[in-house]
Amino acid sequence: MPDGSVEMEGVNVHYEGFHALHDIMLSVKPGELMAIIGPNGCGKSTTMRTINGLLKAVSGSLTVCGLDVRSVSLEEMAKLCSNIPTEFPPDFNLSVYEVVMLGRYPHRKNVWWETDEDEEVVKGALRMFGIDHLFDRDITQLSSGERQRTLIAKAYVQQPRIMLVDEPTAHLDIRYTLEVMQYFKDLISREKGMSIIIAAHDLNSVAKFCDRITMMKQGRIVACGTPEEVITSENIEKVYGVKADVIKHGDNIVMIPLNPVKDGE
Amino acid sequence: MVETDTSSVSHKLRRRLVLILVLGVVGMLGMVLVSLCMGTVNYPPSVVIDSLVNVFNNGVQSGLDRTIYNLRLPRVLAAFAVGAGLAVAGIVFQAIIRNPLVDPYMTGVSSGAGLGASLYMVFFASAAFVGYNYAMPLFAFVFATAAFMLTFGISRLSGNTNVSFVLAGVIAAMGFSAMTTILMLTNESKTHGILGFLYGSFSSVSWETAMIMIVPVVVISLIFMLYSRTFNVVLLGREQSMELGVNYDRFRLLSMLLASFLTAVCVSFVGIIGFVGLIVPHIARMALGGDHRLIIPASIIMGALLLAGADILIKELINVAGITVPVGAITTLIGIPFFIYIMKRRGKGYA
Repeated sequence: MPDGSVEMEGVNVHYEGFHALHDIMLSVKPGELMAIIGPNGCGKSTTMRTINGLLKAVSGSLTVCGLDVRSVSLEEMAKLCSNIPTEFPPDFNLSVYEVVMLGRYPHRKNVWWETDEDEEVVKGALRMFGIDHLFDRDITQLSSGERQRTLIAKAYVQQPRIMLVDEPTAHLDIRYTLEVMQYFKDLISREKGMSIIIAAHDLNSVAKFCDRITMMKQGRIVACGTPEEVITSENIEKVYGVKADVIKHGDNIVMIPLNPVKDGE
Repeated sequence: MVETDTSSVSHKLRRRLVLILVLGVVGMLGMVLVSLCMGTVNYPPSVVIDSLVNVFNNGVQSGLDRTIYNLRLPRVLAAFAVGAGLAVAGIVFQAIIRNPLVDPYMTGVSSGAGLGASLYMVFFASAAFVGYNYAMPLFAFVFATAAFMLTFGISRLSGNTNVSFVLAGVIAAMGFSAMTTILMLTNESKTHGILGFLYGSFSSVSWETAMIMIVPVVVISLIFMLYSRTFNVVLLGREQSMELGVNYDRFRLLSMLLASFLTAVCVSFVGIIGFVGLIVPHIARMALGGDHRLIIPASIIMGALLLAGADILIKELINVAGITVPVGAITTLIGIPFFIYIMKRRGKGYA
């Protein structure tokens, strides 16, 4: 099984006629939990969509699991890389089980039926993420925590080497935020060689759980390193335009936003 | 924690599919028998079956054989084909556009067919001309095809999103309808015929025209059924489908072209029959959930039964009350309250 690595070197991406990513250098190692942070529109999602091949780089080199992305088809990519979106499927009477089962699509063995193995994997995921009691519930009737776990389960049964996660805690209260981030942490230690890349706004939970953080602004990488190296008052001010205190509390790095920097620097 | 029985979900799925197919075949056979019995003259089932056996053994001999085998049988089969075709086209459009309130006429197919049929009736329908059975459907089909090509073109110009598709379809439909209205109002003698087409009828169906509808309906429905799992995936939208390995743009284009073609074939021969493609998939979803492996076959069967049933009702209205009601008017009258009910119940989510 290939290792979940990502190597981006000098990657430039144009998106809707706009130079969205500039000279991105990013290296994600197998077994790593990496966060990408930065203000809205800084290129977090664009970076992730470049990694899984939805967007094409105009220059630079990009390898995923050791393979040149340009040579990987959509079908192959679906077995290497799964994505946990923020958007939820619309109201089409799909059950939790059916939504999670969609994640088995790249592994289908025949056109019509799922195999017993598919069913095993899906049931295992439902148990692992504590949603097996909801398996026939309509997805639109879930709470945001249950819904997030359903989407994680769907991405998990895809058995990817790299998991891309977009804003996993956007609609969650602090309890679910901790739970969901812990799921990712656990996945990394259980699934050997898998890596997870999370685009996030919640700096404190990212600092608590992630191995490394990449900080972006206007399509460029500003900083990359351990939480301690990246979450600093200078970086927060430079990237978000916000005065903030960063304090160390036990093992945790905590960022306290104070006030926006006045415009016109 | 509550331990819920999730055992053998896929076996349950198989059992439900078999049940749907068995009920469907039984229902359709029953519907055929009732349809063959009923008409301007009602025959008891034994007479109908005797006649069918006779036709099978010796060919069409009597006037009774002709009525049952050459008129009523193709008529009910055509109703099946059109009902199934519109239902399956509806389900495909709904999945691709990701909106359960979309119908198979969304690409302007019905208005295009209406204009084609009107043009034929106004300018070419002199009695000595080509056989009515083919010339008018051909006109309708050409214009229906032009309508959905126009819709695809406009949509492509405006970003090719789902919203641009829906709007392009509305624009195309409005343009064709306006031209049909002009034709109708400037040729009053033809108004009745044009209106008849706009609301659909099975009264002029022959074996040949029935087969022209049945073959594409069967072939295209089977193709769609083979891709049921892919239709489940595309409910997630473009990006998430691609992340599961679906070549979304190609899949969307091909399925919409096939569904448009299917709709055009149905509309061209029997006119515009509204709401079947909207309501039937909805009932299927309410009863069976969202899995296309169940709801495509269920919709095919229900669509077929619904239209054949409506056609029986029409035959009875002629007999009992002496009035000829177009089948599209019946389905629309049944459909509108149902549509309002769906909108009230679920429409708030489709802002």
